[in-house]
Amino acid sequence: MRLSLNWVSEYVEIPDGLQDLCDRLDLTGTGVEGVETLGEALEGVVVGHVLTCEEHPDSDHMHVVTVDVGEAEPVQIVCGAPNIAAGIKVPVAKVGAVLPSEDGGFKIKKSKLRGVVSCGMCCSKRELGRGTDHDGIWVLPEDAPVGVAMSEYLDEGDTVLDLEITPNRPDCLSVTGLARELGAMYLTDVSDPLPEAAARLEQLVDGVPASEDVTVTIADEDRCVRYNARVVEGVKVGPSPAWLAERVTAAGARSINNIVDVTNYILFLYGQPLHAFDYDRLKGADGKVDVIIRPAKDGEAFTTLDGQPRELTQDMTVIATPERAVALAGVMGGLDSEVEDDTTCVLLETATFSRAHTSRTSRNLGLISEASLRYERGVDAAPIDEISKAAAALMAEVSGGHVRPGCVEVCLDVPEGRDLDLRIGRFNAMMGSDIPASFMEDVLTRLGCTVQLDGDADVLHVRTPTFRPDLEREIDLYEEVLRLWGMDRIAPTLPASPARVGMRTDAQAVRRTVDATLRACGLSETMTYSFADPEDMVRLRMDEVAPGEAVELLNPMNADHAIMRRSIFPGLLRSVARNQAHGVQNVQLYEIGTVFSTAPERTKPKEVAKVAAVMVGAMGPESWNASRIPFDFFDAKGVCEALTHELACAKMRFKPLEADEAPYVQPGRAARIFSGGIELGWVAELHPLAVEAFDVTGPVAAFELDMAALLKVTRPARDYVGIPSFPAVEVDQAFVVSEDVTHEKMEQVMGSAGGKLLESAALFDVYRDDERVGAGKKSMAYRLIYRASDRTLTTDEVERAHAKLLKKVEAATGAETRS
Amino acid sequence: MTTIEELGSLKSSVLADIAGAQDTSRLEEIRIAVLGKSGTLTVYLRNMGSVPKEQKAEVGRIVNQAKQEIEGALEAAKAELSARELSARVASDAVDITLPGRSQHIGTRHLINAIIDEISDIFLGLGYSVIEGPEVETDYYNFEALNAPADHPSRSMQDTFYVRDMTGKVSAVRGESDILLRTQTSGVQVHAMEDQPLPIYVVAPGKVYRRDVADASHLPQFHQIEGLVVDEGITFGDLKGTLDFLCKQIFGPDRKTRFRAHYFPFTEPSAEVDVSCGICHGEGCRMCKHTGWLEILGCGMVDPNVLFMSGIDPEVYSGFAFGMGVERIACLKYDVPDLRMLLDGDMRFLSQF
Repeated sequence: MRLSLNWVSEYVEIPDGLQDLCDRLDLTGTGVEGVETLGEALEGVVVGHVLTCEEHPDSDHMHVVTVDVGEAEPVQIVCGAPNIAAGIKVPVAKVGAVLPSEDGGFKIKKSKLRGVVSCGMCCSKRELGRGTDHDGIWVLPEDAPVGVAMSEYLDEGDTVLDLEITPNRPDCLSVTGLARELGAMYLTDVSDPLPEAAARLEQLVDGVPASEDVTVTIADEDRCVRYNARVVEGVKVGPSPAWLAERVTAAGARSINNIVDVTNYILFLYGQPLHAFDYDRLKGADGKVDVIIRPAKDGEAFTTLDGQPRELTQDMTVIATPERAVALAGVMGGLDSEVEDDTTCVLLETATFSRAHTSRTSRNLGLISEASLRYERGVDAAPIDEISKAAAALMAEVSGGHVRPGCVEVCLDVPEGRDLDLRIGRFNAMMGSDIPASFMEDVLTRLGCTVQLDGDADVLHVRTPTFRPDLEREIDLYEEVLRLWGMDRIAPTLPASPARVGMRTDAQAVRRTVDATLRACGLSETMTYSFADPEDMVRLRMDEVAPGEAVELLNPMNADHAIMRRSIFPGLLRSVARNQAHGVQNVQLYEIGTVFSTAPERTKPKEVAKVAAVMVGAMGPESWNASRIPFDFFDAKGVCEALTHELACAKMRFKPLEADEAPYVQPGRAARIFSGGIELGWVAELHPLAVEAFDVTGPVAAFELDMAALLKVTRPARDYVGIPSFPAVEVDQAFVVSEDVTHEKMEQVMGSAGGKLLESAALFDVYRDDERVGAGKKSMAYRLIYRASDRTLTTDEVERAHAKLLKKVEAATGAETRS
Repeated sequence: MTTIEELGSLKSSVLADIAGAQDTSRLEEIRIAVLGKSGTLTVYLRNMGSVPKEQKAEVGRIVNQAKQEIEGALEAAKAELSARELSARVASDAVDITLPGRSQHIGTRHLINAIIDEISDIFLGLGYSVIEGPEVETDYYNFEALNAPADHPSRSMQDTFYVRDMTGKVSAVRGESDILLRTQTSGVQVHAMEDQPLPIYVVAPGKVYRRDVADASHLPQFHQIEGLVVDEGITFGDLKGTLDFLCKQIFGPDRKTRFRAHYFPFTEPSAEVDVSCGICHGEGCRMCKHTGWLEILGCGMVDPNVLFMSGIDPEVYSGFAFGMGVERIACLKYDVPDLRMLLDGDMRFLSQF
């Protein structure tokens, strides 16, 4: 909402100090988003007196004039306007002036026009941004003082504030409403222009009563509670008087003509949207005007006055004649009933339309107007007749017409204020304040309430005004008092509750552990979009095995963010590609985030929290003291195994993840992960085709774990295991086995064969050599540790135990032993 | 030569050898040659049996004396030589200590979560619990239970992503739905009021979504931390004190806060909170758009309707709520020039924090 300080100052006195005004508005709830000083745009433009006017020697339409601009010497200007003449006063843009133009500003320079020097420009109204009149030079009255700046001459030293009006304050979408707000802010008196403006109608009434020719019917009372029609006859459509054009321009509208400008003027002044119809275009065959406010028909076609064809729905409301719709109620008028230059009679609509229908209509059509903005927030139905009178009177005054007696009005409901009690003690207790009742009484009165203090009951009886639909409850009054008292005057305290404890949930604790462990393992946390490209899962080769259906957005920002992600990996792979494209070769990323899926007949989608990680390149760059070891499957697996310890869960088991279960992984380098019988997720190198589809250079070691599963397997604490006090005996033992014997199998066999004395068997080498080991075979070397918890083992004991182990391993795996 | 004379000359030649030894390994050779199993002196000790009885005492004394002297000399020489050897080794072991260390790669926390951690910790310290909730919500929990029923003008304040309702229900407004991506984490607070025993002291961090085109200062997905207190006797002063404490914790003790009245459907009275600009300290600069203040959060006393809808008696309980954008804090505190960097996963960015 743009507020002209000149305009509002007609109704309330604003103390000096623009900064103080802005600060106070900010602090009391009306945000100041911008301050604009009008008149600035006319810098360098002065009143000039045309001294001589000769025809241009080399042009049949241009003139060469000398103009007194209040300086020592007159200036010579070449002018192309037909109405230029010696002796007239005109606005002159001197060299260096910047005129308003659509693309920012137009600078006046000294130039030559067909060989004649021109030092400035005589301006039309349009060139100065003061109207649409471009027929010729703006001829100023004879008494205009030569040399005086145009902005000063026009008395345009106006400041316009761009205010953020919160949705609860429809009253502040008007100059009079803001005047009232300023009055409450400064605790100063405010005058209301409406009674006098409406009273002027009496002088302008003529002709037969409007009700002779006009009827109004509200077909659906949910859509409109009050509709008032007046008829202004004998109007002559033309430019607005300067003061009117200036007001509506300051408020942010374009000055169009006297009729439209009056409707905008009243809209900005009182917050009441009006519509001016061309009366003759509403007439039926009988010469009468029957106005019907009715729901639109589904599919009804209508062209709004911006020229856009619209398809309406039953939820929208139209103003119609029996033949056709003529306006979209509360939003915009129709193209074929608008006031045009030849209009002589106006039907003036002053009405209140439903907030909800207006809001939905506006959103459904993507059409926001000054009217819809106000109707969806609530327009006061109480002063409609008064405002209609004021508007009709002004319209007649500026257009030379008259108003037909009376109005035609349907009024189904007139709002009344609400009676609310403000409990003074409770208010102060809840605000932590000590605000006197006298202040509350004063400020609420200035806001338009009727207030009665009941000192015994410590209560203010408040009747709210009809223009404040937001004041519905006691708490709404609290807000008014507090904001105008000043929130900065309330002393800060902390809640004094005796009964509160702060805790993290188990899930949050697990997440913290996972985060800390992954970071300690060298992975950096990232975040990617929750939105996904519908093709992502195909690229990742995951579409056929993904759970559920994709969650579809009805209004996505763009096609590649049309659905919610079902996997975090597309986002991570894009980040890897981005890094590689920028020359970053080592990428270790993880994200803990939500993936989404749905199913037919489901309302809310399923949300599952996952931790996903990718490791590409190597942990660090090659260094003088460390070699670069490229990431593979085992790096990702190692990170998962680190989680086992940190989450104190049962030892992880890895089972091959087969190609048909997971086309997105590279077969043979992929495993499902279990702990304590619960499946946690998978670890793998991603399939080369999936990696390639995201423009990534692989291999990409990756894992994905389910956060809920991790929570399930996490134990609160680890058990203490005794520290051995007797010495161990180490035996290094190599086994040559065929390729299909897994390490897990070896561990199991040795574990059971080694009995109580075998403490551990750690794999320290895997060796393949067709000649020395044999084709299709591998040598696996283990360091076996034998130890008893209660004595030092003898050589004999160890030898016996080891011999037994070898025999059993050979039997179970076909291993040949080598020492 | 008598045995005694032999011993004398052996001793002096050994002592001379010891004195001439250049390193500890030479000393060890001497020790073995003289005192070892078949060492030259050991032989005498072993052969004491063959020494005539009358000489035994004398020879024994001399042998032992020679042994002690040699041992003493060995020890002294060893101490000196090993000290010399150690310092020689230390000297030769010196490295260029400006060479880089053996790299230990440690991952980093994402900036946004680092800020969420920081703020959550502040509130845990104040006795609040951290709660979370779903990112896809129903209209009820995102709007209606927060006092913003259908067609409430505040809805147009936030452009909402709507999700296809798989039950086939159609909304009154084209393109909308009962199911949506939450535009605020406030829904989590409604769940808390419905489900948790009073009093309630919670903060709810989380991802939220609004239809903004991604650019340097906007993202269609970002993070909020909202807080909610419901207890007996909670005042607007408590709200001010809590947020003042928070801002000083995050931005530093010299920063001031300012409360500007505002409107939110969820709270009444409502306010926006500014923190004094850390660059110009309130004088006005480009960072704060010459106001001296930086907008940091929205807050207010919980609207009685909201309490009532969640089954809490607003005559007995009052409360406050607040919410802040985490990305906004990231910009103010870490000067992140472009919010899109937060979602790029660029290692060069991530590893800075």
